[in-house]
Amino acid sequence: MCEEVKQIRVYLKDKLLNNNVLLCLENERTQLADLLLKTLDYGESNSILIIGSIGVGKTRLVNSVINELSEKGKFRTDSLLVKLHGLVHTDDKLALKSITFQMKLDNAVDGKVFGSFAENLVFLLGCLRGGEKRCSKSVIFVLEDFDLFCAHHNQTLLYNLFDISQSAQTPICVLGITCRLDVIQLLEKRVKSRFSHRQMFIYPGPEDESKINQLDSVLVHIKWYLEIPYKARIKISENRRKEWNQALDLLLKDKKFKNIIQRLIDLELNFNSIKHFLLKCICLLSNNISFSVVLFENELNLLEKDEIINTLRDLSVLELCLIIAMKHHCDIYDNQPMNFEMVYNRYVKFANKHASIQTIQRPVVMKAFEHIENLELISLINCGNSRVQKEYQFFKLMVTSQQLSEAIGKFCGLPTEVLQWANSSLT
Amino acid sequence: MASKQSALCQTFPCRENQIQQLWNLFGHVDEVFPPTVYIYGGPSTGKTAIVTKFLEILDIKHAKVNLIECYTAKILFESILDQLTGHELDLSTGAPYAKCDNFMDFIDHLQKVSEKFGLSRSVIIMDKAEELRNMESNLLPGFLRLQELTGVSVSVIFLSEILFEKYYFRLNIVEPIKIHFPQYNKDELLEIISLDFDLARELVANNFNQPIEFDRDFFRNYLNVFLSVFYRACRDLSELRHTSRNNFIKYCEPIARNEISMKNSMALWKNISPILKSSLDVLYLRVTTDDSKRPLENLAENIELPFYAKYLLIAAYLASYNSVKDDKRLFMKYHGKKTKSQHDIKRKSKVSEKLNTQMGPGIFTLDRLLAIFYSILQDKVGFNNHLLVQVSSLVELQLLSLASDNTTLDGRKYKCNVNFYCIQSLSKMVGFNIRKYLSDFSHM
Repeated sequence: MCEEVKQIRVYLKDKLLNNNVLLCLENERTQLADLLLKTLDYGESNSILIIGSIGVGKTRLVNSVINELSEKGKFRTDSLLVKLHGLVHTDDKLALKSITFQMKLDNAVDGKVFGSFAENLVFLLGCLRGGEKRCSKSVIFVLEDFDLFCAHHNQTLLYNLFDISQSAQTPICVLGITCRLDVIQLLEKRVKSRFSHRQMFIYPGPEDESKINQLDSVLVHIKWYLEIPYKARIKISENRRKEWNQALDLLLKDKKFKNIIQRLIDLELNFNSIKHFLLKCICLLSNNISFSVVLFENELNLLEKDEIINTLRDLSVLELCLIIAMKHHCDIYDNQPMNFEMVYNRYVKFANKHASIQTIQRPVVMKAFEHIENLELISLINCGNSRVQKEYQFFKLMVTSQQLSEAIGKFCGLPTEVLQWANSSLT
Repeated sequence: MASKQSALCQTFPCRENQIQQLWNLFGHVDEVFPPTVYIYGGPSTGKTAIVTKFLEILDIKHAKVNLIECYTAKILFESILDQLTGHELDLSTGAPYAKCDNFMDFIDHLQKVSEKFGLSRSVIIMDKAEELRNMESNLLPGFLRLQELTGVSVSVIFLSEILFEKYYFRLNIVEPIKIHFPQYNKDELLEIISLDFDLARELVANNFNQPIEFDRDFFRNYLNVFLSVFYRACRDLSELRHTSRNNFIKYCEPIARNEISMKNSMALWKNISPILKSSLDVLYLRVTTDDSKRPLENLAENIELPFYAKYLLIAAYLASYNSVKDDKRLFMKYHGKKTKSQHDIKRKSKVSEKLNTQMGPGIFTLDRLLAIFYSILQDKVGFNNHLLVQVSSLVELQLLSLASDNTTLDGRKYKCNVNFYCIQSLSKMVGFNIRKYLSDFSHM
């Protein structure tokens, strides 16, 4: 691999994985900044929920606003930022511990005994107050994966935060970030009534459909990710840089490439998947200095592949026979559950009919059945009785007949008898 | 760099594509690692071995945890931290590097460790990642976005046998980059197992008095024969390798005895093929073929039950797989004339999947067991506590299992754990026709 391609790879990977630049959502950004400034400058309390599916840039939006504000020095003197994450702070005790730590109030709390959660929180916020009501530090609470906080016991944390934001105590702003659209329904009534019901929905795709369509906005993103701007810190010659950008422009105008991207966003429109897709393509850059459309196409074909078919192709002939037996069972009995005994009998009937199929002992077949179970191609139906012997436990098949027939078509070295058996509808 | 890669490809043949993919993601200096990678593929496809070796060759700092070993979150966190810091466990106290009771502590410590030791470009390998689903609900999504949560650029590699789509049972799942390790096909298996050549030589030298000199083609011929028998039943490399080693000695035996010449592959094949067939029957069971001469099905024969206990077991089987309604017809001599009802006709046309023998054992009471026992036994035996002891010893042997509460003494209920093949051979031994007494078969 030549030195320049190496440099380009390093640069692009870094840009793709380690950047915090927000490319769209300008309106939301100003709106959010305004809201935070009201808390920071004027001491108004607020609460807002930011709702949008995974990978649309919710966290990135909040972080970019906060970064901007902290660059202006807002957090240095008169306000605090507390970040909580639903996955990390799984109960209110942990959350409170983390809040104390992030407010740097460990010393103040040390040794004190609090009657309730609310008392503790009020004390913490009280510490921020300097004598009068007007001169209190304001606090911004960012709650990521907000929906998980709703599962906490009695929703104490949320209740207290929203309660404080409603009453004229310390000025706080509660920012909830979640991917669940029904998050309001998760709130208890008393919590819901204290929430300001300000919600911000973030959708993937362009803000204004009339100006620019979805494909073009994604292409703009891709261009941003893949281009090497003038001021980039990268050790390649100027000519090479221009060449790269020109090739990129050509690629983005290519009809085939547009088709590929359209197929990609038809599958899933979020920046995580686009980023992963681009990352995999960058990884394949080796000797040629520019991307080719074929490279993207191959990568997309891999992405579109049904993984279950791969798993089915990994099975041995015996295991595949068992799956076929299960499929027949499902066809005949209208998807009723089956146990090993039934599948085994069906398989033995088939094996006896054909002399060329070697007979395999029951324990080995059992083992093959267990292997299928481990791969979760079948799933156990829990009948409540855990003491049922293995042979009689009921399962249902998790493979559709289309997947099976496609896998059988691609399976190499499958005996013809098995093939015919699989395709026959009645046995 | 390229030499390291080709060395790796040589150690793990037939995995060039997967090694290349790993190399693209992790192999280059100064390139940023992807945050999470999910590697999946069947058993013994080289997932763990390749990833570990790969990171070792590249000298990338890594912690490798197996989720079966680290069965609680605490052990998991602490062993990751121990490995990342290179902390040596003090044998007397066994204190970990840092105590982590929950995910929050873990993230705190990880950040601190990162400041102290520098964790950028380090990797956490999580083997058997599917177990994460059964642990605390925040662990799987948490590790999937560890970089985002910690702000430390540490990557996580998940190794698992199942597809990633099986993890989509809750929200907050961020999809990682996936690499598939496919199962080896027949040619690849042949290629890999034939690397055993030197070991096979050693085996032969150790087992026979007179040395047999053979070349690679001879060994490959053997493997061809071997795989033609085994490949359809099993594609698991480690299992096949184990079995092939066991059988190679038997393959060479006639040569050592000077009965068959080494060139006569046809005769060798004739000699080995019954042996291979019998060892196919004990695949995965890891018993040597010698002890398994007695078929494993006859478990009950092996444990040498007394005569009455055999009958009791048969009675228990009959009680488990017949419905109470049929008892009168099956076991009484004069059960009166039976009018055929619609129900009977329906039952005769019962499909095989609804047979009692396929639906699993039913539960019966001790009274019913004894009644059937006396009915099928020709000679009369007095009812005494010797019989009752035998029932409880059958329970001890796990041939019967207690289905009712352990504390009740009255009206205990049992279930028969023995399968049809076993009971069939048992009844043959005592000269009893079991099919006659099973409602599944009696109409046939």
